[in-house]
Amino acid sequence: MLLIFQILFFGFFLTAEWSVYRRMREGRLRRSDGLFWAIFWLFALFVVLYPSVTSIWAGYLGIGRGADMIVYVALSMVFFLLFRQGIAIESLRRSLTKKVRDEAFGRGKIERLKD
Amino acid sequence: MVGIVIPAYNEEKKVAQVVRSVIAIARPDFVVVVNDASDDNTAEVAVAAGAQVITHEINRGQGAALETGHEYARRLGADFVVDFDADGQFEPADIRPAIDFLQKSTTDILIGTRFGVGGNKIPFFKKYFLLPLARLFNRIFLGVKMSDAHNGFRVYTKRALNEIFIRQDRMAHASEIPVLAHKAGLKLCEYPVRVYYHEYGQRLSGAVKIVGDLLMGKFIK
Repeated sequence: MLLIFQILFFGFFLTAEWSVYRRMREGRLRRSDGLFWAIFWLFALFVVLYPSVTSIWAGYLGIGRGADMIVYVALSMVFFLLFRQGIAIESLRRSLTKKVRDEAFGRGKIERLKD
Repeated sequence: MVGIVIPAYNEEKKVAQVVRSVIAIARPDFVVVVNDASDDNTAEVAVAAGAQVITHEINRGQGAALETGHEYARRLGADFVVDFDADGQFEPADIRPAIDFLQKSTTDILIGTRFGVGGNKIPFFKKYFLLPLARLFNRIFLGVKMSDAHNGFRVYTKRALNEIFIRQDRMAHASEIPVLAHKAGLKLCEYPVRVYYHEYGQRLSGAVKIVGDLLMGKFIK
């Protein structure tokens, strides 16, 4: 019998997968990224429906409990995504700087005292 | 042709005096103030003092402002370019001797150092903690050995100016420049300059941010 949490998560899973599909179709998510997130949510659903498998995987990795493994994996993913976001933001900042510089020269507004 | 590049952000109180004294004492061919989207009258004051002013519409940081000034100097074909602070912490009388020193030394870029000249009152924490730590970081992680870790007084030859393109928009440019010089096979020398402290300058939090910017910069093409 399914627990309430599992039913709720199933609903969340469907929403997440729909969102990934929609973003891919609209071209807002690359195919490779879309595939990654589709598999990720499928994997998450599997873990929620069959939580006992995490204990088996945790045993292979030398981690005591399945719940601990989930926390470690989740934290690693959060840090990795933060790192990727950081790089994306820095790249955007540099593009902005280039635009600002081009604009500063382009509009010919170099001010000076009249001779 | 000698040009002075002065990045400025909200420096209306000091920039005019700096521009006037630089023009009077160093007699450059041009002084360009890069107004980094100041909220005050920095641009107007600098123009009235005799500088040419390029304005960033959005604040992009000191490194970005310097690179804009360098680009301007490249377009004019400057033979020597001097980076100079807008807050009056450097001594305009050091500019000409530094250029002469660079010419005689057959190196490509000169970086000022607070050490080796009397009268520089470096704050205690900075002198005995921040600067040694920054020197160690530069030496281990960047492969740069210098007596001063972050000095904004620099003189570039035309060759150095055409080889060094600053990519660090904020304060990490001071660590980036010697690294870029080294990568381009340029020779670097140090020259003692006077520094007048109006404010503390870089703090520990700023140093941490610089390290973060340098690390992040490694992952960006």
